[in-house]
Amino acid sequence: MKGHPTKEVTQLIHEIKIGNVEGSYNITAKTLQVFKKIINGQRWTNADELMNLVRTQGHILQSAIPQETVTANIARRILKLIREEFDLLKAKVHQFTDDQASMSLHKLVTQTSNDVSVDYTEPQQGLREALLDHLQEMETELETSSENICAQAEEHIHSSEVILTLGHSRSVENFLKRAVKKRQFLTIIIAECAPDCRGHNLAASLATGNVEIIVIPDSAIFAMMSRVNKVIIGTHSVLANGGLRAACGSYTVALAAKHYSVPVIVLSPMYKLSPLHLCSIEQDAFNLVGCAEDVIEYDSLASHSAKVYSPIFDYVPPELVTLFISNIGGHAPSYVYRLLTELYNPEDYEM
Amino acid sequence: MPSTGDQKIDDAADVRNYFLKLLEQDRDLSSGIAAIKTLLMILEKKQFDTIHILHTTMRDAVAAMRNTDLSIAAVVSGGELFCRFITLSLDDKHMEECRQIMLHRGKIFLTKLLNSRNVIAQQAKKFVNDGCRVLTHSRSRVVLKALISAAKNKEFHVYVTQGGPDNSGAQMVSDLEKAGISSTLILDSATGYVMESVDFVMVGAEAVVESGGIINRIGTFTMGLCAREMKKPFYVLAESFKFTRLYPLNQRDLPDEYKYSRKHLVDVSKVHPQVDYTPPAYITLLFTDLGILTPSAVSDELIKLYM
Repeated sequence: MKGHPTKEVTQLIHEIKIGNVEGSYNITAKTLQVFKKIINGQRWTNADELMNLVRTQGHILQSAIPQETVTANIARRILKLIREEFDLLKAKVHQFTDDQASMSLHKLVTQTSNDVSVDYTEPQQGLREALLDHLQEMETELETSSENICAQAEEHIHSSEVILTLGHSRSVENFLKRAVKKRQFLTIIIAECAPDCRGHNLAASLATGNVEIIVIPDSAIFAMMSRVNKVIIGTHSVLANGGLRAACGSYTVALAAKHYSVPVIVLSPMYKLSPLHLCSIEQDAFNLVGCAEDVIEYDSLASHSAKVYSPIFDYVPPELVTLFISNIGGHAPSYVYRLLTELYNPEDYEM
Repeated sequence: MPSTGDQKIDDAADVRNYFLKLLEQDRDLSSGIAAIKTLLMILEKKQFDTIHILHTTMRDAVAAMRNTDLSIAAVVSGGELFCRFITLSLDDKHMEECRQIMLHRGKIFLTKLLNSRNVIAQQAKKFVNDGCRVLTHSRSRVVLKALISAAKNKEFHVYVTQGGPDNSGAQMVSDLEKAGISSTLILDSATGYVMESVDFVMVGAEAVVESGGIINRIGTFTMGLCAREMKKPFYVLAESFKFTRLYPLNQRDLPDEYKYSRKHLVDVSKVHPQVDYTPPAYITLLFTDLGILTPSAVSDELIKLYM
């Protein structure tokens, strides 16, 4: 798809690349703002033009920063929103929009004409206003998503339980803080997640008198697992089959948990659900390698002859995940496909 | 009434001949599509006074087509899908008007189904990477198409099992070689041997059942078991008209007419089954013209249709 990035998109890409905007939540919020500006400020006369605009900018974002899937997810959601609003404004019955939503066996059988695609080029009055209203709703949903996840903490964490987590996920931090407030005698084991060791920050942030915090090196995960009641981790994104792209070390945690039959709970707000499949481990844009200096110093003797890698992500297959907790409730990995069909239009899976 | 009885038998023979001729003319035609084409022909040629007669005629025709020596799985699912689609178009219109609508719909339905193999090939080719090794079972036209379209810009190697009893794996290998894809023909019993050296398994299916499992040529289940044991992804490529309303619990639970050819149905104790059932737990993903589905999404699709 050809096109030039708008000024805001260029700015966003730059800020994400230099690390000014980091964390899935911040990136999602910023992306949403950028698209809001595009809908508000750019010149477009009909839904088709707008969809092309969103698609182009989404594509640019995705190819510039392929590891951040949330940007494309937001673009997909906005595309679906445009379709829905357009259909509603055309005074179609609600059921019709439902039918439009996905390719199904039912649709295959009942469709009457070859050309079912709606003509989105028809100009619609009030589309812009309606869309901006909905974007406002989306923003609110985004802002409250963390709180909605935390609200479920009490259902999953009980007194005197031993919880293990890895690294430092903001959702997990808030979730555990809520649990610590409500429950007593909790023990929280934090794997430090080398080489960044962001687990130390989590330990510092959780340390109050009320809870026992144990920080362990990643190598001790298996040894500690036998006494753990629950594993609670965050994730970078959730893939279409219910698998995870999570911080490096998550696979180790999940496998150890499987060995001892410990439930693995993954906290993931809805905007992290991506309609992507892992075609192979070597897939472009699946993994990143971090700075090698954290693993071994540049001037050390070994670094002359040794190759050093510091991968950022792990793929965790869906069969190792027990439950996803999102801002709208708990789901099994096998249900992710269903959530995806509700969130996005299948035509937008490929940006 | 003997006269109507004779009439019926004649019809059945006609239907069967038409169906078999379609399959003979085009070797690449799936039996499910041929069944739908036959039903469409009947809809076109015959006059119906009531929906009830139409229904019985359709049911008789499907029964006639089941009465051939081919594997019946796709015929059953295709026929059922077509009949379902007829009832969905019921309105209080005049019968002749109804028939025209049905015919029109039927033709669109058919063109869509004919394109489904291409759609699946486009999805599946992304999973075939440069330098990878693929294991497939016997000959499947949709797998062949996917591999050929992947071979346009990638090099990979395919292991093909012979696929007894009719050894159509040899045909698959020659088809692959013709398309410039390097391949090896292996014994069905060598599945376990090659499993450690392949990257993933890609098979077709005769039918996809409600649980998300598949019915396919004998040996597929063995392959699924081996793949699971060695942690290799097991991909299934199947067109959506193969979705069947059947929920087998185990191998014995599969209806006999799926497992044995017609001439053996009288006594099955001494003959070998032609298909087996692979439960959903052994399947990683299903590639269909409705999209890439996890096994759990299959029942959703079927419920949506037959609710």
